[in-house]
Amino acid sequence: MNLKLFYDHVEQDVLGAMRKPKPVYWIALGFSVLAFVCGLGAWGYQIFKGMGVAGITHPVGWGVYITNFVFWVGIAHSGTLISAVLYLFRARFRSAFNRTAEAMTVIAVMTAGLFPFIHLGRVWKAYYLFPYPNQRLLWVNFQSPLIWDVFAISTYFTISLIFFYVGMVPDLAAARRHFTGFRQRLYKILSLGWEGTLDQWRHYNRLYVFLAAFATPLVVSVHSVVSWDFAMSIAPGWHSTLFAPYFVAGAIFSGTGMVISLTVPMRKILKLETYITVDHYEKIAKVLLVTALIVSYSYIVELCLALYSGNLFEISVFKYRMGGHYRFLYWVMIFCNVFMPLTLFIKKLRRNIKYLFVLSLFVNIGMWLERFIIIVTSLAKEYDPYSWGTYTPRLVEIAITIGSFGMFFMFFLIFTKMLPVLSISEIKEQGEGK
Amino acid sequence: MTANERRFEYDSKEEFLEKLAALVKEGVKPGAITTFTPFHVHEAEHILKSGPSALRYITLAGALAGFFLSFAFIIFTVLDWPLITGGKPLISIPAFIIVAFECTILIGGIISFLGFLHLVRLPNIERIVDPRECGSRFIIIEELAADERGEKQKRRREEEKKRSKNNINSPWEKTPGVGR
Repeated sequence: MNLKLFYDHVEQDVLGAMRKPKPVYWIALGFSVLAFVCGLGAWGYQIFKGMGVAGITHPVGWGVYITNFVFWVGIAHSGTLISAVLYLFRARFRSAFNRTAEAMTVIAVMTAGLFPFIHLGRVWKAYYLFPYPNQRLLWVNFQSPLIWDVFAISTYFTISLIFFYVGMVPDLAAARRHFTGFRQRLYKILSLGWEGTLDQWRHYNRLYVFLAAFATPLVVSVHSVVSWDFAMSIAPGWHSTLFAPYFVAGAIFSGTGMVISLTVPMRKILKLETYITVDHYEKIAKVLLVTALIVSYSYIVELCLALYSGNLFEISVFKYRMGGHYRFLYWVMIFCNVFMPLTLFIKKLRRNIKYLFVLSLFVNIGMWLERFIIIVTSLAKEYDPYSWGTYTPRLVEIAITIGSFGMFFMFFLIFTKMLPVLSISEIKEQGEGK
Repeated sequence: MTANERRFEYDSKEEFLEKLAALVKEGVKPGAITTFTPFHVHEAEHILKSGPSALRYITLAGALAGFFLSFAFIIFTVLDWPLITGGKPLISIPAFIIVAFECTILIGGIISFLGFLHLVRLPNIERIVDPRECGSRFIIIEELAADERGEKQKRRREEEKKRSKNNINSPWEKTPGVGR
């Protein structure tokens, strides 16, 4: 194909996907908004009535809210992995997923960021978390993992947002030619007057490399910090040096699963089959398989560490996980995160997009359950039998959880129609190389 | 396109690079050439002998500032109201490294982005209102303004020579008895 024709096709296909949505889009958006509004309503009710309406109480003070926080931060991680790490390694298949993954990162961090506020109860006191000169003459405790979390999540959100936006500037410049009216004005402003001169590209390329280089250690640090929220406390099942790599691998695993869950319907609805191909899915399935193996290995090491430690409390917590009140959830988690991904060793299944979609849903469920199991079982059966207890999420917590999924999908659907879902300039560059 | 420039448009990168190399070979200064491309063409940098981006210094400065300022701030806060928690020393370096590390990336990233905007002169209001972009084409614009200026000066000098030959005095020329 003539290159000029190819470039024009890329622009038309990618930007064409941003035009008038089909009914299925409106239905999906309607459901997402409904779920989001339900979640907001439930949160409003909790603020009005107090934290008593939630199931979290002594001894399980961290329940579904913290589970959701860790889950969404984990989902956010794959965005940076696919975008930044694969960029630094010059993996060409990233161009099929990077924009979606970056958008997913930004939206997932926004969703995750809500949960500490929801969990806080008195949300109007949230600003106490930040270090600022105040009448109480006190500063925050920089030795606390919860403060590390504030800095880690804020940094992750800011850098992810900059990375997402910078990657989009040349594509927004292309978009302003294809639209009229309000959208054209919007893209003109967002593209900042980009011209595509050599000087602009030169500095742009450098900036992109630097941001990717900044974002890569962030992937490791942010989820390590999240894991230290647990590992720094001396609770059985939490106090382990394994937690940081274990959480990072789990985060990338769950995020990759979510990328597949999002892009399979997206490519179908937006007709992007030419750009997101079976080969691309096969490669991302390999990433999913590798991370699944790391997660499985972590489960084994975690268990062996406990058994080999000779520490009765550690051993009893792991026995409780496997055979206690939450055993059903534990074994569902093992099935979803350990056994199901092993099927990806079969090439035919790696190249079957429908199968990958179903598998990715299992991975999402499995990883949510993993966080729930880690958080709840360790608190439910800590040291003193006098303070043992179980936890069941209440309706408000379930509604807020559903609301968080509604928020995530709502913003993602808006993204697919407002911004280019594929990197036009990168696809053009790769087309030139072929 | 103005009268002061020559414009070359191509559909393929190869043709664009050939012309670019030819222009440089002709003796056109890289500063007089502006290119517009749909994506980053690394080879063009070599042909025009563009130096490395100054952004790296800005990024380094931002990252270092983030690291040291955050460390200094944390130490200031623990000394401002000394309160021992968990039996740990007031200045607990390992614990502070985590926040300092995050701030290194945060400030480094923000400063890099602002530095980029400064280096490429964005946002450009004029171009936001009236965008100039190549679309899917590879464009070279050769500025002729400098050469033209040279030609004009040459013409003026020749005219002055002619004037002096014909004894046409400038109104500013000193005449005896008239001060300026």
